Amino acid sequence: MAEQGLLSGGWDRMARNKRYIVWFYVLNVMLAWLGAGAFQNQAHAMLDHSAYAEKLVHGFDFSVLGEMVAKPEFGPTAASAGPAVHFMAVFFLATALFLPGVLQGYASTYRLPREEFFRACGRNLWRLIRLLIVAAIVIGIVAGVLFAIQGAIGKKAAESTNELLAPELQFAGLAVIFLVMTGLRIWFDLAEADVVLSDQRAVRRSVAKGFRHMSRNLPRLLTAYVVATLLAAIILLGGLWVWVKFVPASRVWAAVGVSQLTLLLLLIPRFWQRGVAVSYYLRAMVEPIPVQSFSPEPVPAPVEPVVNELPILPVLPNIPPPEPQGA
Amino acid sequence: MKAMRWVIVFLPVATACVITIAVREHAAHAAEPQGAVAPAVSAPGNARAAVARPNDNALSIPDTTVAINSATPMSQRVVHYSIDARYNAESHTVDASEVLTYRNLTGQALDHFPFHLYQNAFQPNSTFVREAKVAGNRDTSYDHWQAKEYGGEEIKSIEVVGQGDLTSQLKYISPDDGNKDDRTVIELPVPKPIAPGELVQFKLVFQTKFPETQARSGWKKDFVLGGQWFPKVGVFWHGSWNCHQYHAMTEFFADFGVFDVKLTVPANEIVGASGLRLAEATNPDNTKTYTYRGDDIHDFAWTASPRYKVKEDGIFQGKMGPVHMRILMQPAHWSQVERHEAILKASLEQFESRYGPYPYKTITLVDPEGAAAGGMEYPTFITGGTSWFMPKGLHEPEIVIEHEFGHQYWYGMVATNEFEDAWMDEGINSYTEVKVLDTLLGKNTSVLDIAGGTMGERELQRDGYASEADVDPISQKAYDFYDFGSYGGITYGKTASVLLTLEGIIGEDTMARAMHVYFMKYRFTHPTQEDFLKTIEEVSGRDLHWYFNQAIYGSPVMDYKVLNIESFPVNWYEDKKGGFGKDDKDRLYRSYVWLQRKGDFVMPVEVEIKFDNGEKVREHWDGVSRWTKFAYEKKAKVESAEIDPDHTVQIDRNDFNNSYLVKRNAKPARKLETYWMFVTQWMAQALAWWGV
Repeated sequence: MAEQGLLSGGWDRMARNKRYIVWFYVLNVMLAWLGAGAFQNQAHAMLDHSAYAEKLVHGFDFSVLGEMVAKPEFGPTAASAGPAVHFMAVFFLATALFLPGVLQGYASTYRLPREEFFRACGRNLWRLIRLLIVAAIVIGIVAGVLFAIQGAIGKKAAESTNELLAPELQFAGLAVIFLVMTGLRIWFDLAEADVVLSDQRAVRRSVAKGFRHMSRNLPRLLTAYVVATLLAAIILLGGLWVWVKFVPASRVWAAVGVSQLTLLLLLIPRFWQRGVAVSYYLRAMVEPIPVQSFSPEPVPAPVEPVVNELPILPVLPNIPPPEPQGA
Repeated sequence: MKAMRWVIVFLPVATACVITIAVREHAAHAAEPQGAVAPAVSAPGNARAAVARPNDNALSIPDTTVAINSATPMSQRVVHYSIDARYNAESHTVDASEVLTYRNLTGQALDHFPFHLYQNAFQPNSTFVREAKVAGNRDTSYDHWQAKEYGGEEIKSIEVVGQGDLTSQLKYISPDDGNKDDRTVIELPVPKPIAPGELVQFKLVFQTKFPETQARSGWKKDFVLGGQWFPKVGVFWHGSWNCHQYHAMTEFFADFGVFDVKLTVPANEIVGASGLRLAEATNPDNTKTYTYRGDDIHDFAWTASPRYKVKEDGIFQGKMGPVHMRILMQPAHWSQVERHEAILKASLEQFESRYGPYPYKTITLVDPEGAAAGGMEYPTFITGGTSWFMPKGLHEPEIVIEHEFGHQYWYGMVATNEFEDAWMDEGINSYTEVKVLDTLLGKNTSVLDIAGGTMGERELQRDGYASEADVDPISQKAYDFYDFGSYGGITYGKTASVLLTLEGIIGEDTMARAMHVYFMKYRFTHPTQEDFLKTIEEVSGRDLHWYFNQAIYGSPVMDYKVLNIESFPVNWYEDKKGGFGKDDKDRLYRSYVWLQRKGDFVMPVEVEIKFDNGEKVREHWDGVSRWTKFAYEKKAKVESAEIDPDHTVQIDRNDFNNSYLVKRNAKPARKLETYWMFVTQWMAQALAWWGV
């Protein structure tokens, strides 16, 4: 089946380049750790020498947490949350920065050397930023409209005497928003793949091309993306379940292990989606390579035998031949 | 002759007895302010004695006991309300006639009567709304006035039997703040004062318009909660009328009596109300009339909705007789009905065993539409609070129901003045809520017990207090609190914490006994805060003024702290190298532990000092000076010190500094870090997922 082909093709690319996931995970951990610095300092200052803090170790007493956060000694919540938010933004920008290298690596038939990875990152940085701005505008407008509609429907539904109507419509609305946003994500993922792999300077062309392909092949692509998202949900819920069920409350390092493993695995679905986008690009979006007709000058009759030269074709860097359909 | 001698002796004695009894009876009525303490342990008998017989003008207050499990009335019945009301579900209005019979037990002639018109609070210029705009409110901040928020209560006519129609004499008064636009209290002068011991009857016609639910009263969709919906006479208390305006942070105060209410509603409405339902009749105009009787209650509330699902087969076998539990649920919450019934029944059991019998024949539990009508108490009628999604480990419905049921005792029967002494109903009720929920749901899990995360009611109450500790004293009048947060944190949280701490001072059993005595002594009366505090002192046999003056009447904050710990070898000067960190079991150490009183609240405290050889020492500090120091010379260093090692003090604002561990224990903070990292990493990933 075509969907399976797209999914398996994407999975293969992701699996062949597992190192990218590890790098991104390391980046994620490092930035979060830096962002958690203020919180760590505040928490250690409050808790390290207090017997009362033991109530957080054996079980987890929310009232102790609440009391800690409310204490002036802990400092304002913004002081601990602020750096975390800043480092989240840094991770976002870092993802944008390194994404072209990842796409290039996924498209490559060989292990992409470091220089090529970073060259792709640098070459496409400004294009990616322009693309992100376009995406932010489109996604922002669509999300704003959808959430506004959902809010209005929810408000209206709340007037119903059927109390369940409002939450049911909210959930249905969220499902629709999820599907629409996933569609938009596909659009811009394809545009990103096109910008990077076609070396496309005119971002608007990639945006238009991405939209064309997304709209023409929405069911296939959407199915693939939703499957990957479901995997993410399973990983998240499964990780939390294992954490709650099997990790004793007082085993902090075991909790660190389970939580970080969950976060590492959570990166897989998104990279899988990237793999799907690249697979689709190579299968359906690569423009035919123009082959120039070569008409040699008439050659006088050979005096001596000569060796025929192969025609020289223009070479696009790092673009493998298109995959056969249904691979 | 012999018989004559007996007559001569008997007649003067008998005459003297009759005169003495008559004088005493008169003096008792004259001296005893209305609502003063009835010798209530034997209340039924005495209450019966106090029941008025028809007087000259043939007025009377019924001594019926149809709605209670008692052969005799249990309260001094001051009022009898007979109301015939018709509810219009389209306009959310009630048109009614009310006959109020009032017995003057004040010991003095009464020439004017104030009435509460509570629904007038929901008007833009009322004191309630003015205060709510600045001090906050549970349900709405009144940012923009909306027509649906309007409520009103108008007396169309009032007649005093024997004195004629006095409607023109009515005038609005604002005894608390002089707000001329506030119409929540209206006063009626009567041309002929009502003499002590006499009864007077008022005949009123009134209309009430409910707002969309606010302050646990009003309509929402097709639901209505009829609370504070009829003109209600004030309470003559401590020598004058006590009839406060309705404030944003106040509740209510009323006299005990009998309620006969006929309520006519559209035929499709399902109705619940205070008291006992006596009759139900279908009318030709597609309405139904329900007749209710309430004995020994001081308010009457009702609800109607066509969508209620009802469970009414539950019976609690109380000490005085069976109690019928009637539960009206929203259809979307029907799956939680067993949960509601279980906590209601368990609360009845707990209160009966701890404090005293529940005398009424019914208790109605309403699961209302929307949060603004939830969590409210009226006599024999309470509203809960839940939603369609309510995991079993989240005990919100249990907490609300237990709390509101508790008000049947602390408000319903021990009817304190909620305008002035809010802590005596909300606070004492919060304390008993902690005690009951500790027993029923676990000390540390009574609020939350999900996936390893826990929270207990006592800590929740304490956290509420700690955030508002230095703003207002407990004894503040409810309408004088700084804001709604302070009212809640102090009235509920601080009172509960203060009484839990009191357990540590006088003992848990003594405190339990004091609460039982207080309930039995003051049920069906209007006790003051001094009555409550005096009862605790009497039962415990201890002078507790030092505690009450600070904890109840004052606002000092308690914060004791382990300031510092130092241990060093006695022969430190001989230690050339190697430092003091080397363990040497024969080495003698000099250790000091400093404690500090950071707050203004002075209280003796215990401290437990642990040494690194396992030895523990308990010290007592009177807590008066700003700091103190304990010194030791032992072959061990101090490992830790903890103030209040038995955790009996609930009012220390900061529990973190009550102990000090010399050796750092980073585990709790690391655990929090783990959670924090997980959340921030996941959020960063999600942001990148959708954004790039």
